[in-house]
Amino acid sequence: MSGVASPFRQAGAERVDPLLVALWIALIIVAVVWIAPFIFIIFTSLKSNATVMGTGAFSPPTSLAWENFTNAWRRGDFGTTVVNSTIITVIKVPLGLMISAMAAYSLSRIQVWGHKVVFLAIVFGTMIPFQVMLAPIFKQVNSFGLINTYVGIILPYLAFGVPYQVFILHGFFKEVPKELSEAALIDGASHFTVFRRIFLPVSLPVLAALLILDFVATWNEFAMALVILQDPDRWTLPLGLMSFQSQFARDYGQLNAAIVMTVLPAAIVYLIFQRYFVSGLTSGAVKE
Amino acid sequence: MLLAPAVLAYAVFAFYPMIDVIQLSFMKWNGLNADKHWVGLDNYRYVLHDDPVFWVAFKNTLIWTFLSVIFPPLIGFGLALGLNQNIPGRSPLRALFYMPVIIAPIAVATMWRWMFDPFFGLFNSLLSAAGWPNLIQDWLGDRNVALYSVFIGYVWEVAGFSMVLFLAGLQGVSQTLVEAARIDGAGRFQLFRYVTLPALRPTITIVLILSLINSLKAFDIVYGMTGGGPAQSTQMLAMWAYTQAMQLGDFGRGSAISVVLLLITVAIVIPYLRWTLKRQEAYQ
Repeated sequence: MSGVASPFRQAGAERVDPLLVALWIALIIVAVVWIAPFIFIIFTSLKSNATVMGTGAFSPPTSLAWENFTNAWRRGDFGTTVVNSTIITVIKVPLGLMISAMAAYSLSRIQVWGHKVVFLAIVFGTMIPFQVMLAPIFKQVNSFGLINTYVGIILPYLAFGVPYQVFILHGFFKEVPKELSEAALIDGASHFTVFRRIFLPVSLPVLAALLILDFVATWNEFAMALVILQDPDRWTLPLGLMSFQSQFARDYGQLNAAIVMTVLPAAIVYLIFQRYFVSGLTSGAVKE
Repeated sequence: MLLAPAVLAYAVFAFYPMIDVIQLSFMKWNGLNADKHWVGLDNYRYVLHDDPVFWVAFKNTLIWTFLSVIFPPLIGFGLALGLNQNIPGRSPLRALFYMPVIIAPIAVATMWRWMFDPFFGLFNSLLSAAGWPNLIQDWLGDRNVALYSVFIGYVWEVAGFSMVLFLAGLQGVSQTLVEAARIDGAGRFQLFRYVTLPALRPTITIVLILSLINSLKAFDIVYGMTGGGPAQSTQMLAMWAYTQAMQLGDFGRGSAISVVLLLITVAIVIPYLRWTLKRQEAYQ
């Protein structure tokens, strides 16, 4: 990376590089295209229906129709879906990370019979999209009588969250010096103590990254929730938004207010924890 | 035992359904009652031969996958190359391009559906404002256009993902090598061609494979934007499997479609995994 103080120059060069300026302008143009949908949605969310039909797409709302938000909240039953999404995410995300971390520890430190097979199965699992087999997942959850329950959605979420997290954490735990854990074990510490006292503290940044990635993934998940949570009282935010769209598609302002409310929590989390996203994503996929 | 909870959850709710779907694909079952019986290859015969929608969905999935492997990685690569230079505003730009990736795909679908609205949506408003009313389309309602309209939304959603991976790859390009080449008098394009590009080879492979696999997952965005219509013109295999099983109540046929899709996925995943593991061993 050429982290020089004055922009538009090649490393070590005095002159402004015209190609870099051109590149920058091109990036700004793409950025305008990328941001346009957000602006359009936010503008529409604050317009009354009459204004939507009467004014141009990018003309800012003249009077702010905040009632779109309260109306959408009420008609879309956001009170219920927000609570459901919160309960599911708050239980699933820490619990999933916990079991993944424990599994990754034992795979990297304890020689269990068949641990190579388990590891291969897990790596394989990171690549198989569950969207491909929604029906058998439904069947399995149904056979435990857990359709329309929080447990019924959390268990498959855990199952499909495990592979990626174990894969990343396993890679990280392998780098922890062997001497460190072996010394502790010889001193009579249990594996659980070693895990909790040594491995968890040193891997905090990775754990944080995975936590945040998983928060967003769980918060946004749609397909699995669609087959398992069929009772509107158990719907999560994405299901609620989908139903809102099919019922009130012609209430443009309210529909867009509903979109904004659905997207906002994940967007805020992202903006606060940005750097963790990048490190969480790339620590697994791209390793030099 | 530390390993048990994760393995148990994975085995029961991820691995078992994967095996079960194969068994179900040889059965006739509506998913609910006890009447489930063996029908041999009937489901496959129906799906592959009698079902007019399957091959439409197959073709759409093929087009979709093909486009997904080309456009989002290409745009992501371009953005990453630009953002890797010494220009102002890199962080906010990167944050912006990545933003759509963290938005719920179903919300992306809802957003774009509204932008494609034939009467008041963004696209048609812009086109009429620009004085090109003859370009106005029923973006999601025209069966020749709908698939590509959905794909445009998808590009917006996922290009940032490729960008982040490429940026990480670019950070890994050895600066000493770049300096050495520059001192030897390599021009900008030689530098790119002979230093940067070869160093990025593994990253390129990873991005292409992940794009390919993610494209098979595309369910939410299609479901939310068109539901497979109009006239099945945006139907895809994953969604057709879902529709057959969960909406038309035929778990056997739905599972047969799932098996076909799983086989395709496995055929891509296995060679990739072997490549990854080999690289890991070399790295150690």
